[in-house]
Amino acid sequence: MVSKTEEEQVNRLENQVDNGGGGAWEYLCLVRKLKLRRSDKVLKYGFSILNDSKKRSALGPEEWTLYEQVAIAAMDCQRLDLAKEYIKNLQRKFPGSKRVGRLEAMLLEAKGSWSEAEKAYSSLLEENQFDQVIHKRRVAMAKAQGNISGAIEWLNKYLETFMADHDAWRELAEIYVSLQMYKQAAFCYEELILSQPTIPLYHLAYADVLYTLGGLENLHAAKKYYAATIDLTGGKNTRALFGVCLCASAIGQLTKGRNKEDKDGSELPSLSAVALDKVYKKQSPTKISLLSSTLKNLKISL
Amino acid sequence: MTGDSRYEIHQDAYIKLVLHSLKHRSSAVNGVLIGRSSADGAAVEIVDSVPLFHSQIGLLPPLEIALIMIEEYYGEKGLSVVGYFHANERYDDLELAGVAKNIGDHITRYFPEAALLLLDNKKLGDLPKGKDRSPVLQLYTKDASTWKLAGSKGSNQLTIKEPSANTVLLDYISSEKWNDIVDFDDHLDDISKDWLNTELFA
Repeated sequence: MVSKTEEEQVNRLENQVDNGGGGAWEYLCLVRKLKLRRSDKVLKYGFSILNDSKKRSALGPEEWTLYEQVAIAAMDCQRLDLAKEYIKNLQRKFPGSKRVGRLEAMLLEAKGSWSEAEKAYSSLLEENQFDQVIHKRRVAMAKAQGNISGAIEWLNKYLETFMADHDAWRELAEIYVSLQMYKQAAFCYEELILSQPTIPLYHLAYADVLYTLGGLENLHAAKKYYAATIDLTGGKNTRALFGVCLCASAIGQLTKGRNKEDKDGSELPSLSAVALDKVYKKQSPTKISLLSSTLKNLKISL
Repeated sequence: MTGDSRYEIHQDAYIKLVLHSLKHRSSAVNGVLIGRSSADGAAVEIVDSVPLFHSQIGLLPPLEIALIMIEEYYGEKGLSVVGYFHANERYDDLELAGVAKNIGDHITRYFPEAALLLLDNKKLGDLPKGKDRSPVLQLYTKDASTWKLAGSKGSNQLTIKEPSANTVLLDYISSEKWNDIVDFDDHLDDISKDWLNTELFA
């Protein structure tokens, strides 16, 4: 998960390298650090460094890290020929290495040789049952073969052991959402909020799931979590501001004709509307009329 | 209402959808189709498209906001939402996802002849090889309560208005034009980004 500044930094570097301004190595290191998936660029820039013997030797021992990074990128771009070549180089340098063994298994996976890859991963796991990367490759393989229920099963098993892996909880939540299993997705986000309560992304995603589940109780809860997101982001998160307005509108529809006690009398929706109006006027003035009609549609007055 | 219809998609609308899928290759993407019924009612013209999301497609709040704004904008031009586009996460997955069907159902409530388009990755991959002028999309239409795939023999057909659309598309692909596509997700993350993509083909 990357912050906005980190993303801007990476994009700036990417633009720079794209336009011939150099900085390829810094870019590759940053992508590796932030665990981003930009395989086409990594392959392009990595290849040009690795192909140039001067540039390669200038890297020193980092050369091997780069081979690994570009091999994975090559597999993602289905350049299996290049991946094979780089893995061979790594094998020669580090014979019998488990880390290289993992790459070999990944190559089998990239080729679509599922049962062979499964065998390779299983044997690697026998020697080290706590290798998180391999456990996750199993989930990825299940997903790639379209066996989503298998992926869910593996992922749940993985989380029983490695329950602090936030990325895994997020992956599971997203799989549940794609299958419209919202209650299960909500559970994942609850776990994430419990362990990292100051990350606005989780509050926002949880609120989105609650709203999607619907019902008065969930809508009220969603509103609270959108409010928490607004709090944690200093009011800058457009999605949360919209979320508050949506909740207020939906709650209003459900409580039409009920007693005033059930109705929602807070100022939050109108405050969000004002904030949205302000930010649209500043950053998206051509769409301000669309915003106004949207707010009117949701019966939110500024 | 369940009579056969022809569906004609304009080049720009078509290309936007494919470029959007290419921008986010490792996730599912979706979008809505904008257009109108033809004067004689026998065809549906898909005049434009709006790429929507590339993450957490099953969540309602961003979808609801997007639809309100889209209907408001295009309503003024006498156009409405006439269909939905979906591209699955995996290359060889041609199954119609539950989310796609649900959103499609919602759209048919307002426009019964709504089209549901699914990206056919194999066809897209084969484009450079042949001179195929047909769209790299599968067309589904609602028949009673199920979404049925339009076969090549049936009269439910999807054609592209401009015959050279695939050539233009291949051109854009080689120049990596997908980088310039903006979807509603991008807009919500940075509202200065224009989901109407008015500058895209300028």
